Amino acid sequence: MPDARSFARPADPDDDAVLLRDVVVRAAGEDRRPSRTILTVDGLRLTERRIGVLGANGSGKSTLLRLLNGLQLPDSGSVTVHGLDTRRDGRAVRALVGFVFTDPLSQLVMPTGREDLELSLRRSVPRKDRAARAQEILERFGLATLADQSVYELSGGERQLMALASVLAVEPRVLALDEPSTLLDLRNRELLRRTLAELPQQQVLATHDLELALDMDRVLVVDRAEIVFDGDPASAVAFYRELSLSGTP
Amino acid sequence: MNGRGTPLGEYLPGHSWLHRTPLGLKAGFLAVLGLGTFWLSSWAASLAVLGLVVALFASIAPGWRRTWRLFAAPAPLLLVVLVFQSWQLGPGRGISIAANITSCLVAAAILTLTTPVQTLLDGVVRLASPLRRFGLDPERLALLIAITLRSIPYLLGTFSSVREAARARGLERSPRARVLPVLIASVAYAQRTGDALTARGLGDATEPEADDPAFN
Repeated sequence: MPDARSFARPADPDDDAVLLRDVVVRAAGEDRRPSRTILTVDGLRLTERRIGVLGANGSGKSTLLRLLNGLQLPDSGSVTVHGLDTRRDGRAVRALVGFVFTDPLSQLVMPTGREDLELSLRRSVPRKDRAARAQEILERFGLATLADQSVYELSGGERQLMALASVLAVEPRVLALDEPSTLLDLRNRELLRRTLAELPQQQVLATHDLELALDMDRVLVVDRAEIVFDGDPASAVAFYRELSLSGTP
Repeated sequence: MNGRGTPLGEYLPGHSWLHRTPLGLKAGFLAVLGLGTFWLSSWAASLAVLGLVVALFASIAPGWRRTWRLFAAPAPLLLVVLVFQSWQLGPGRGISIAANITSCLVAAAILTLTTPVQTLLDGVVRLASPLRRFGLDPERLALLIAITLRSIPYLLGTFSSVREAARARGLERSPRARVLPVLIASVAYAQRTGDALTARGLGDATEPEADDPAFN
C-alpha cells in the first residue's frame, strides 16, 4: 500500500485554497473527553475545482468535509478556507462554504422548496426582492413547478436538487458535498452529476460513486482516519478498488 | 413517510380572502380566540365557535385530504380529553373543552395555511424587534418558531411510522416499542436540523447590516 506521506502535498498558505495543517479530530468518549482518533491530516492544500473523496463508511471522509464548513472543528491543527480560519472566522466560513448533506430532508428545513430558498436568502437579499430572486433560482434549476409542493412529495432527485439550489442561493465559493448521490436512482444520479459538472464553484465531494469520482480533477482516498492516496481520479479509483477488495477497510 | 401527519405548519398557495387578510388581523383573531376559549364553558357556545372557525377553514378550500389530515391526527388525543373531562367535570364541560381545543387547532391551521412562512417570520421579527434591547435576536426567535412549525408534522409522522413498525412486529401493545423509537428519532431529527442550520449559517446571530429595516 502506498504511504500516505508520499502522496500528501506540502501545505502552503494560499488565499484561494483550502488548507488543512496538522489536523487531528477525535471522537468524544466517556465524560466527553476526546478518545478515538477519527481523522488526522498532516498537510493538505486543495486548489482544484473538483476534488473527490473516496473511502469506506466510517473512514473519516464525512469528517473531512465537515471540517471545511466549520461543522466540525479540529481538536488540534487548523483549517483555513480562502484565507479564513474555521475556528476564528466561523460565520464567514459558513457563508463561503455551502454544505450539501446526503439526505436532503435533513437539509430542507422549511415545508416547501420555495420557502426554504427564501429562508436562505433572508440574510442577504432585501425582503422586497426575495420572492423574485427565489423564483429566478428555481427556474435556473428547472424546479419552478415543484416549488410549492411539500418537500415530502418530491422524488429523491428533486429533493436533492432543491437542497442544492437552497445552498447555491447564497452564492458560496466552495461546495462541500457529503455523498449527495447515495440515495438517488440512476436517472437522478445522472441529473445531479450533470448539474454539478456545470457549477462554477470549487467542489469537495465525498462519494461511493466511482463514476462520479472519475469526473473529478483530483481524488483523495481516506482509510482508517488517514488520507492514504492523493492523485488523479483514475489512479485513485484503481487504488480504492484494490484497497476495498483486499479486505483492508 | 414522516411529515404527512397534519397540515399544521403547511402553507396552501392561493388567493382566498383569508390569504389576502393581513397577518396582524389573522394573528389577532387567533390570540383572541385562544384567550377567549378560557371563558367559554357552555358546550353550545363552544360548538358555535367551532362551527364558525370550521366555516372559515372551509372558505379557503383546503380540500378533503388536508381536512381529513387536520382532524384525524389529533382525534385520538381529543377523544381522550373528551372522555376524561366528561368523566371529571360532566359531559357538557367535556364537550366544551374538546371543542375549544379543536377551534384553536383549526384557527392555527388557517393562519399557517393562508400565510407564507416568510411572511410569518417577518411578522415575528417585527413583533420581537423591541426585545433586541434585552439581548434577544428577533431573527433567531422567528427561526425557532419556523422550525417548530416544520417539526410538528415531522414528529406526528414519526409517531405514525413507529406505530406501524411496532404493529408489523406484533408489538403494538408495547409502550416501549412505540415510545422509545420516537424519542430516539426526535433527538436524531433535532441533531440533523441543528447541523443543517449551522451549515447554512442560519443559527448565527444576525449580521449588523441586517438590522436595516429593508432586511426585516
